[in-house]
Amino acid sequence: MSDEDIPALEVSDLTKDYGDLIALHPLDLTIDAGSSVALIGHNGSGKSTLLRIVAGLLEPSDGEIEIAGWPIGSLEARATTSFLPDDPVLYDDLSVREHVEYVSRLHGGSGWDDYAESVVTKLGLIDRVDDLPSRFSRGLRQKTSIVLGLVRPFSLLLVDEPFVGLDASGRTAMMELLDEVHSDGASIVVATHEPSFVERVERSIALRDGEVIFDGRASAADVLSLVGA
Amino acid sequence: MPDALPVPASVIEDLRRARRKQRVAEIHWIDALYQVYLVGIVVVVVLAVISGAIGDGKLDHAGIERVRLDGPAWIGMAAALALFIGLRSGSRGGPLAVEAADVRHVLMAPVDRAAALRGPALRQLRFAAFASGCTGAAAGLFASKRFAENGLAWVACCALCAMTIAAIGYGAALFASSRRLPRWLATLVGGVLVIWAVADLAATSAPMAPSSTVGMIAVWPLDFRPLGIAPVVLAIVLIVTGLFGIAGLSLEAAERRTALVGQLRFAVTLQDLRTVLVLRRQLAADLPRNRPWIPALRKPGRARMPSWQRGWRGVLRWPVPRLVRLVALAVIAGFSLRAVWGGTTPMLVAAGLALWVAALDAIEPLAQETDHPGRRDSYPVVEGDLMVRHLGVPVVVMLVVTAGAAAVAVSGGHNSVDPQVMGIAFVPLAVAAVLGAATSVLMGAPKAVDELLIASPEIAGTRTVLRTVFPPLVACLATLPVLMARNPPKGSTASQAASTGVIVVTVVLVLCAGWIRFAADIRTWWDEAQQAAGMQSSRRPTAEEDDE
Repeated sequence: MSDEDIPALEVSDLTKDYGDLIALHPLDLTIDAGSSVALIGHNGSGKSTLLRIVAGLLEPSDGEIEIAGWPIGSLEARATTSFLPDDPVLYDDLSVREHVEYVSRLHGGSGWDDYAESVVTKLGLIDRVDDLPSRFSRGLRQKTSIVLGLVRPFSLLLVDEPFVGLDASGRTAMMELLDEVHSDGASIVVATHEPSFVERVERSIALRDGEVIFDGRASAADVLSLVGA
Repeated sequence: MPDALPVPASVIEDLRRARRKQRVAEIHWIDALYQVYLVGIVVVVVLAVISGAIGDGKLDHAGIERVRLDGPAWIGMAAALALFIGLRSGSRGGPLAVEAADVRHVLMAPVDRAAALRGPALRQLRFAAFASGCTGAAAGLFASKRFAENGLAWVACCALCAMTIAAIGYGAALFASSRRLPRWLATLVGGVLVIWAVADLAATSAPMAPSSTVGMIAVWPLDFRPLGIAPVVLAIVLIVTGLFGIAGLSLEAAERRTALVGQLRFAVTLQDLRTVLVLRRQLAADLPRNRPWIPALRKPGRARMPSWQRGWRGVLRWPVPRLVRLVALAVIAGFSLRAVWGGTTPMLVAAGLALWVAALDAIEPLAQETDHPGRRDSYPVVEGDLMVRHLGVPVVVMLVVTAGAAAVAVSGGHNSVDPQVMGIAFVPLAVAAVLGAATSVLMGAPKAVDELLIASPEIAGTRTVLRTVFPPLVACLATLPVLMARNPPKGSTASQAASTGVIVVTVVLVLCAGWIRFAADIRTWWDEAQQAAGMQSSRRPTAEEDDE
């Protein structure tokens, strides 16, 4: 099997429960390398849980997950996967630039470079790069978190509710950055309530109560009928 | 993907060192000196108090024999508890509390997790070894005054013993965390060892508990038994195994822990017991069941007694660990009452505390009203009235818990409490625990800015002590009937003495209940009075007043 044939993400019989509360029913999913996918569903449908398990932040109750052929949590899987959470978690004592240098070097990168500068500029953070994000508003912290997710090498990008807390220009920049990342060959999986984004991706997967209820290409109208957004 | 994985550990160390340097540079030397000064004062006061309590008279032969025979079991109890706490902490992602951002950015990066975590773990271990070594050495110094043997030997052995206890606890936590020991298994193993240690302590016929071997180290100057080396080896094995497997740490547990530990420390600093309790429950994943134990109660009920119904709905969602905890607390209270009856008076504190802690769980509905004052104030009900209504269910729950404690206390054998006395003391014990716990929750955390603190630190200090001590004291006071019945005055029976005790306790409980009912009214009145006084003093005198 060539590298291109290995799926970006393969989920088999994945379940997650919290005691007597089942968050994900047995779930099978394959996402091809280089594809763009939207995860849609009501609040509590299991989108974030699925993404967090794939990112390695939550442990599955059962089942197996492979990222580009590597088991989740392995060094290779971690090097391959970038996760943009909906709750930005940042250091209190590092500026945006220091964050970028730190995270980039942890991934074997060189630190602050032209790409980092271009992402920061697109997101409108260029004038704040030497400020502490701990003093930022929710939206600016979210933008910092996006920068950190993009300035490192990856081939699978997991994004949880990327548009929440962003202003109009931030949303546009985010859409453009996701398109750019995808056109560079990375696979992207985005959990969102944004109907307009669904029309930009090749595939949409709708979840309800932890089960897949739709898998295919969807329009904004489909999203409304599937999740009543 | 980078060609060479993992990213070298030196990168993490360099980056961490730079951050540490930046942080240290921000600390003013005056602040650091003040911290040292405070710690110094606390240490000196503690040492002076302990020294005074222990005395320095030499022990007689019988006393030395008692220490030689019983000492290991008593110290072993501490080791068993350390192991239990360590295993439980490790099964929940401890002992490390990794910074939240480190979980997201370092542990999720393609770096060697073991290399990233070993540094913080070794730093924690170093501190634990230092603190326990100092504590043990101090204990050895006190012990040496009472024995004829070489003082240095006591200091060295007690320091080694304390360090072994700390290392066993820390090593157990590292081991459980790295091996992802299930919580039930950690509780089972730790629980069995604690019960064994208690049995070893209580009954001479019980086989020696493994934890008692730790205690042998402390009494080596009296009786050198090579078996004491075993726990030292065990501690080293646990730590080494834990450090090697540290990369096995669960990110899910680490992230939950890291988010809560910081808040927990802050709440402890603020003496905010309720917040500590809520955060501890979250840390232990001690969360209500999604479905109640009795599904029929999910149906909508009549609105005649909403507080009563709400209380039962909460109780019927209690998770298994909370139920097990209440049973354990009932057993502890029962054994403590037996000890009080047998002549060990200080154990009444243990009995009262056990029931008070159980009641802190029982008063959950009332506590949740105080957690959200905005919601509470939106109800068309007087606050004190609502609080009193919420006491019904906790009292019933605590009657059941106290019944368990009473059953343990009166069950046959050595120091069995007179059933008649227990019958008389039973209801006051349950009610006092509930009222003590409710008082504690309703008092809340001390205000950040206290008017009394500004007026007089002495008054504020006394008030803080009273605030902390009073609620559990109410629960402890309820053991008075048992205490009075133990040695009834001449001419009266044990039951009569217990009844007299009940009268005293009832007076305190009535006052307590009254405070719960009218606390909000009193607070409002006090605030209004203060506001009026403030307005009067800050008001500018009128022209007429100036003329006068």
